[in-house]
Formats: sequence, C-alpha cells, structure tokens
Amino acid sequence: MSERLEAVAQAYDVIAAELERALAHVRVAAEHYRNELVPRGAAHAWAAHGHLLAARERLEAQARDHAAHSVADAD
Amino acid sequence: MQLGTVPYREAWDLQRSLAGAVSQGAIPDTVLLLEHLPVVTLGRRTDESAELHLPENTAVEIVETDRGGKSTFHGPGQLVCYPILDLTRHGRDVKRYVRELEEAVVRTVAPFGLEGQRLEGLTGVWVARPPRKIASIGVHVSRWITTHGYALNVDLDPAPFTEWITACGLEDATFTTIARETGRPVTVAEVRPHAVAALGEVFDLELEELAAGDGIGLWAQPVHAGLAER
Repeated sequence: MSERLEAVAQAYDVIAAELERALAHVRVAAEHYRNELVPRGAAHAWAAHGHLLAARERLEAQARDHAAHSVADAD
Repeated sequence: MQLGTVPYREAWDLQRSLAGAVSQGAIPDTVLLLEHLPVVTLGRRTDESAELHLPENTAVEIVETDRGGKSTFHGPGQLVCYPILDLTRHGRDVKRYVRELEEAVVRTVAPFGLEGQRLEGLTGVWVARPPRKIASIGVHVSRWITTHGYALNVDLDPAPFTEWITACGLEDATFTTIARETGRPVTVAEVRPHAVAALGEVFDLELEELAAGDGIGLWAQPVHAGLAER
C-alpha cells in the first residue's frame, strides 16, 4: 500500500474513533434519560455533539483533500 | 450542570469529551458539579509507595488520572467541581487559573462564616488555625482547555485522607469539612448555589443551570438551541 493511501486510511480510523465515542455517549445519554437523570443525560448528549462535530470536520477535510487531488475527465 | 452522584471514570470520560466540544466551540464554557462514589485518585506527582497505605480489605476504587498534584480521596458529601473552560478567554495562565479556583472556593465557604485561606507554596484552600485543609485542587490543561478542578469537603468523614492515603502528599496535615467547622450538618445541595455564584463572579461567567425536570427546558436553552441548529 502506498504511503498516501495509508495516511488516508489512518485519517478514516480517527474519524471512526470519533464516531464510536459519540455512539458511546449517546447510548449512555439514553440510559440516563430512561432513569430520569436529565442533566447527566444532557451532559453526555453535549459530549456526543463534540465528537460528531470533530468527525464531520475531518470527513469534510478528507473530501476537500480528495477534490484537490482529483483530475477532471478529459472528455 | 448539576449531575448528582457520578462514578469517577464516567465523569472523567465526560470531561474529556466535553473539553473537545468546548475547544471546537460546539458548547460554551461548562461547569460540572457532582459527587463521587468513594474513590482514591492519583495525580501525575503521586508517590504511590509513600502516599498509599490503605488498610487491608478496603474496598475502594483507585484511579490514576492525568491531573496535576498528588493523591486524594473523593466520596459522597464532597462537592466536586470540574470547570471546563477555554483559558484563551480567561487569561492563558495556568497558575492564575489555579489561584482563581482557590478564590472561588474561598468565596463559596464565606457564606458559612468560614475564612478560607491559601498557604504559601501549597495548592488548595485551608481554614486556620491550626491549618486544616477543606478543599483540594488538581487541574489538567490541554490546548488551553481545562479539566478536573476542585473538591470541597462539605460533610463527610475525613479519615480516608489520612488513614487510607497521605492525601496531597502532606504528612501530618489535618483535613476538615464545612459541617465540622460550623458544627452542624451541611448538605452539598446547600453549598452548590454558593459555588455557582462564586465561579460566576471569579471567572465572569453567566452560568445557566441545565433543567432537571421531565423534559423541561431541554431544547429551550440557548446552548441546546445552538446545537439543534447545526
């Protein structure tokens, strides 16, 4: 595998980790809301927003990078 | 956010994620107020062999953390405050931040008739004389975002600070509580509003408490509304 593709793969690993952390917080938030622990649930929901935002920014950065390296079709 | 009683590891994980959200501007400066189940935490400067001497069969969790300072004990009856602040808005000075946290504790205990004091060369808040430690402070700052904070002894048995550990690495130190100093029972709920007011004054924050009712205010508050618009 080329170094460039490995770098891209690692970038997506980081995105996956952010999404997994968001998922974990969302699951804990659901549990707390179910137990009527509202502020504790909300705190985990806010935490999930942070990870989702980070994942989205990294995904967009990958998209921009991909666009910058793509070549227009000669046709 | 008033979170009630939260296991240490959950609160730590929450802080780190919220710190990421604060650093991205997804949420504003946030303060977590809570109590922990009994736990001994070790800071980056803890000397385990000198500080840990738990009696045999003591069932207490021990957690190595990334905060500054040495070992301490947390348990119910202690108000734990974790401000997650972006220090780029509060002076970019970690020493100043710690002094301001101490000032917030001093102002929190004042309504109970207690004069909190700092001791030269030591971090935390004490009442005199002789000096008795009433609050411990340990912080972590990464990319100017703060985590960890202070633990104020409201009404708990301070024996674990000396019998289980040598808290803060201080030999012969005495630990006290607001209840012990005032000679009456004091609840964490009684102290919490004073803590919120003091943090607001010292850090110039307008703290908005997250509603705790069944669905009340979940999306009415500005932070929620901002998140919903993203």
